[in-house]
Amino acid sequence: MDSSYSDDIIKIEHLTKIFSNKKIVKAVDDISLSVRHGEIFGLLGPNGAGKSTIIRILTTLLKPTSGKAYLKEYDVTKEPEKIRSLIGVCPQNGTLDIELTAYDNLEFYGKLLNVDDLSLEPRIWELLEMSNLKDRAHQQVRTFSGGMKRKLEIVRAFIHKPLILFLDEPTIGLDPESRREVWEQVLNLNTHNTTIILTTHYMDEAERLCDRIAFVDQGRLISLDTPDNLKKALPSGDRIEIGFTDLRPDLIASLQNNPLISSVEVKGKTLCIFSKSGNKVLPSLLTTFEQYSHEMLSITIRSPTIEDVFIYLTGNNLSNSGDNSGINAIRGAK
Amino acid sequence: MIGRSAVAIFRRDFKKFLSNPYVILMTLFMPIMYLVIFGNAMGGTITHIPIGVLQEDPYNLETPLFTSSLEALNSLHNSDDPDLFTITTYTDEKSAKSDLSQGQIMGVVVFPSVLTPERVVRLYIDSSEYVVPSLIESGVRGAIGKTGYQNPIEVTNIYGKLVYIQFFGVGVIVMAIFMTTMMGGGIALIKDREMGIIEGYLVTPVKRSSIILGTIGSGTVKAFLAGCIVFFVDILIAGITIRNPEDYLLVFLVLFITSIGITSLVVSFASRFSNQQEYASTVAFMNLILFMTSGAFYPVIGMPYWLKWISVVNPEAYAVHALRSIILRSQGVSVIGIDLLALTLFSSLAIIIGIVSYRRTLE
Repeated sequence: MDSSYSDDIIKIEHLTKIFSNKKIVKAVDDISLSVRHGEIFGLLGPNGAGKSTIIRILTTLLKPTSGKAYLKEYDVTKEPEKIRSLIGVCPQNGTLDIELTAYDNLEFYGKLLNVDDLSLEPRIWELLEMSNLKDRAHQQVRTFSGGMKRKLEIVRAFIHKPLILFLDEPTIGLDPESRREVWEQVLNLNTHNTTIILTTHYMDEAERLCDRIAFVDQGRLISLDTPDNLKKALPSGDRIEIGFTDLRPDLIASLQNNPLISSVEVKGKTLCIFSKSGNKVLPSLLTTFEQYSHEMLSITIRSPTIEDVFIYLTGNNLSNSGDNSGINAIRGAK
Repeated sequence: MIGRSAVAIFRRDFKKFLSNPYVILMTLFMPIMYLVIFGNAMGGTITHIPIGVLQEDPYNLETPLFTSSLEALNSLHNSDDPDLFTITTYTDEKSAKSDLSQGQIMGVVVFPSVLTPERVVRLYIDSSEYVVPSLIESGVRGAIGKTGYQNPIEVTNIYGKLVYIQFFGVGVIVMAIFMTTMMGGGIALIKDREMGIIEGYLVTPVKRSSIILGTIGSGTVKAFLAGCIVFFVDILIAGITIRNPEDYLLVFLVLFITSIGITSLVVSFASRFSNQQEYASTVAFMNLILFMTSGAFYPVIGMPYWLKWISVVNPEAYAVHALRSIILRSQGVSVIGIDLLALTLFSSLAIIIGIVSYRRTLE
């Protein structure tokens, strides 16, 4: 796959979008990046980071305040009509007509997207098959579960085999099984030589699907690389968290002297120890604690995730509320 | 606790209610407008009914019956003093009757040329209006009675005896068009926008003009069909009769022009409001004004002066008049020409406004 990645299909140069209703908000702040042909490109960031705004600019729904964006050779502000025939969009808020059947929804979009009449019907069945909705083809979409609706909407965006597919938060609010199904579908679509841009605030989703990830926070591009490289960029490696009641300063000093440990931090009643190889350092940690006859309340060891990279880069986790778990980010996403 | 939750629900509803001053204003305004408009449109005193009088051929000299009846007719007043009739004196029966059939006047009294007690006074009445025919008949009978002459009066209702449902039924056809577009079309459009369906269109290569054409087109056909259905129901239930086949074509033409105009108007309204409640209260208000002053319920002639002015600029009034002319009086283009012109003008204007304001929401 790598060799086909050479040409850029989307190019963004110094893109800025300022909203000035009542309060001036810089939703996108001088972002430059490019997306390669055929890749799954993730825009990752907390709610309100500017991901959807970028998507809305690229899909010609919004005009940028300044800067340029090109899809292939077309400028988004100058040739929106050309761009609209290249792209498929699955917006964050559902745009299915719930009063129509699944089949009718697809047929309607097929016609809007100029799929020719002869190939439209087989195409619709192909997509219904792909999304496992064949037996529900002639039922009203209002009777569908959230996951079914989402899958239908994703294949609908793909009905005309677009060159670029935009998926804005494709799995928001879905249960784990539906999410897995959507992921499968996304990977499947990507094998059709389609470039996929997806936004998400789920780290695991980005890590699992994306060839490259762009971290966006408060409208700015913070980092852009493959998931592996991003993780490598973390200086700390594995993270070991130890709960305690009270701590002696000389213990920390002793830990810091351990060559396997790269850094030690105290966060409230938790001791965070970073190490390139957590498994090896664990026994020596236990020895040190015993040596100082220090009580441990809990111990956890985690390999770095994309979320850690994000926290490292922004000093914030994705829920952006300052508390210490990603669970809130997931809960908050309705 | 029942009380606590009830209070919580009460407070929530009230907060929402108070947060939308527009809807509050409209909900208070509506009943007041009902009072003002409905009260005036329905209960008005009918005055200045145009009638023609003449003495039949061979015309020698005005008979005393003619002169004293004319005087008596002229002196008929309503309680608050405006004249009941506006009288035109004709010299020949043919032109009087043609004016009657063209709707210029609403009654013709033909007096005999020779004054013998058995000669009849003939009265021709435009019977297609509500209330007005009986006012003419009682007015004429009263005036002649006052003169002391005992000549019999022969009354001809030129469009037969119509019942109120036939008069009103024609108005309901127009109401059907209005209701279908206002309630069905407009709200559906706002809902589509709320559901993001319109935004979905915008990322497809569909031309903006196709979206507008499709939206106004479907709305027009829905409204047109609704009008046609009520028209046929009128034929079946109210018992109206269509005399010539070409009258059907004229009816359909009027329905079509009205449908496309009202649909475009609704599209422009629906583009303005993002909120269903605001839209619905505005539209209910529009419906009140337009329908009440259209003459669908009660003859426009009975409305106070200021309401008549609203009916002059009210497209529904032209639609109702045109339909009544065709359906009840079998009058042709010569009579409804002005209505067609007004409706076409309104529709063209509405289409332009509709396109411009809808287009703005698509940008």
